[in-house]
Amino acid sequence: MAAKDLCTRESVGAADECIGPSSRNLSDDDNRLRKRDKGTIMKAIRVQHTGGPEVMELAEVPSPQPKASEAVVKVNVAGVNSIDGQFRDGRLRTPLPFIPGQEGAGMVTAVGPQVKALKVGDRVAWSGTLGSYAEYVAAPEEHLVPVPPAISDDQATAAMMHGLTAHYLVTDAHKLKAGETALVHAAAGGVGLMVVQMAHAIGARVIGTASSDEKAQLAREAGADEVIVFTRQDFETEVKRLTGGKGVEVVYDGVGKATFEKNLNVMRLRGMLVVYGMSSGAVPPVDPAKLSEKGSLYMARTTLAHFTATREELLARTSALFSMIADGKLKVRIAKKYPLAEAAQAHCDMEARTLAGKLLLVP
Amino acid sequence: MKAIQVKQTGGPEVMELVELPVPEPKANEAVVKLAASGVNFIDVYHREGRYKVPLPFTPGQEGSGQVVAVGSDAKSVKIGDSVAWTATLGSYAEYVAVPADRLVPIPPGVTDQQAAAAMLQGMTAHYLAHDTYPLKRGETALVHAAAGGVGSLLVQMAHNIGARVLATVSTEEKAKLARQAGADEIILYSQVDFEAETKRLMDGKGVDVVYDSVGKTTFEKGLNVLRPRGMMALFGGSSGAVPPLDPIILTQKGSLFLTRPSLGNYIATREELLARSGAVFAMIASGTLKLRIQHTYPLAEAQRAHRELEGRKTTGKLLLIP
Repeated sequence: MAAKDLCTRESVGAADECIGPSSRNLSDDDNRLRKRDKGTIMKAIRVQHTGGPEVMELAEVPSPQPKASEAVVKVNVAGVNSIDGQFRDGRLRTPLPFIPGQEGAGMVTAVGPQVKALKVGDRVAWSGTLGSYAEYVAAPEEHLVPVPPAISDDQATAAMMHGLTAHYLVTDAHKLKAGETALVHAAAGGVGLMVVQMAHAIGARVIGTASSDEKAQLAREAGADEVIVFTRQDFETEVKRLTGGKGVEVVYDGVGKATFEKNLNVMRLRGMLVVYGMSSGAVPPVDPAKLSEKGSLYMARTTLAHFTATREELLARTSALFSMIADGKLKVRIAKKYPLAEAAQAHCDMEARTLAGKLLLVP
Repeated sequence: MKAIQVKQTGGPEVMELVELPVPEPKANEAVVKLAASGVNFIDVYHREGRYKVPLPFTPGQEGSGQVVAVGSDAKSVKIGDSVAWTATLGSYAEYVAVPADRLVPIPPGVTDQQAAAAMLQGMTAHYLAHDTYPLKRGETALVHAAAGGVGSLLVQMAHNIGARVLATVSTEEKAKLARQAGADEIILYSQVDFEAETKRLMDGKGVDVVYDSVGKTTFEKGLNVLRPRGMMALFGGSSGAVPPLDPIILTQKGSLFLTRPSLGNYIATREELLARSGAVFAMIASGTLKLRIQHTYPLAEAQRAHRELEGRKTTGKLLLIP
């Protein structure tokens, strides 16, 4: 079935049709459930060849066993991210077959002999561990972050890739200061909503872009001072107007190709363009002289791994995020939760960009 | 007055000594009698036509001297002031008209020649070390062409901040100059691969910032010697322009930052121009920044000055004395 066909159907039906009747049979099969509970067989989403959302099948696979420095975690929720789509369709490569999914939250059920701090029963969250669209996943201990009681699994998962990304963007990629102006593209997206909240809390002026009035409203509620509905307003013209021709100190851009050229025209002298994603496609090669011509601009093309490279940095960021969430300073918006079997539908929805906030799978 | 004029672009020989009327100040200008004018590579690019300027023109971007006339709206200077400037074409002459808000006062303790020599190269080194990537004590900078005009000043400033400086140079003679300027490590790139040598000197860790005015021949390897989240400050292209770069390379090499700064954007306001020139002059007056003014030429010998600059026979600053 073509991805387009799958994605245009109604949610539940499409998933059933795509994955087949086995998923229903599975969940009703007590014997198999018992086997799974012993940790021998589990349900997981499997990709045998790359392609559209339909290549994600629900399968029964052996439950993972922990290697020496790993823990096995029962996945309570798995986060859906655009990077999962890039692995699924082959833009990012990983050996086949594989279980998609990079992040989630759950409980430790087994630990390897060299695991130092974690123990069975600990609540943890993680990102950067392929194989999270499953009932169980084995993760290196250094990827696992303890989750405090005040934080739900949903919140913890949203705090991982989206929260960590938003955090490094405003604290390190460009350390945003009160009084500065930031342009946040896709301001109602998973990362965008968090960047807007954090930037607002810092005291920066936030200009967001969004595709619809509904999303613009969400961005405003998150603290955006101005929102540009880019489907009917030219963001370059609007940003220039809103900043009195001066431009912004920083652009946070997860969109990539579609916004790049105009971004260079809306920055102040010596402004910073941080490209952290490419939801519209990759930015084509850039002539460095252009950065000079447009006002001694800076650009960075960042990825989360380099901002959580040490255990200390990962824990510092997650604990900052968990505090903000527990204190009510950072609100996590869950767009939709899907049963694991409906992973394909979740990808359809993610790629259609109709939903605002975090998409989660529940194994 | 006497001035150098270029009627058609070309080699050094197109620069002729001619008699021209002394300029009159426009409302916002002051006319300055030159004490010294600096010779820079950008003058060569103007002369060759690589950077376009309407013909005929008088080359020269920077200088120092004394104000002899002011326009009606020029409030920031008065007749008799000792001033310096950069980025004003027409400085290879006895007199030049300069927008008054681009003139900076020369403080006591700084000579006219030092002021002329410090405007472009000194302020460039200053913004690189203090603003483009504000170096901190304990950080490591790789400075290419470390014995060059900007390079040797940048090495001194980085050293004074307390940063560790790795310096690339082409000859033993230049190595000595870079060492005198305060470089901690010298990389003779004509003999060793600077990427391998930098990695060796850093025990495999990357440097915090690369200051690169060389461009084409050094850029890619420069990305390989940066630490994750390090800064590539590309501020010139003496070996040619860096070709377009796939941004994903910045990700792959460690979420790197790239900037391509130019001086104009770092002295855009009068406040910043005064602050930056003042900081550089203070370093000169206190002796913490040493200029090497080793080549002064009479105005009439502008051709020779260009030949020697282009032939890379000079180290340190070249000045024309009208």
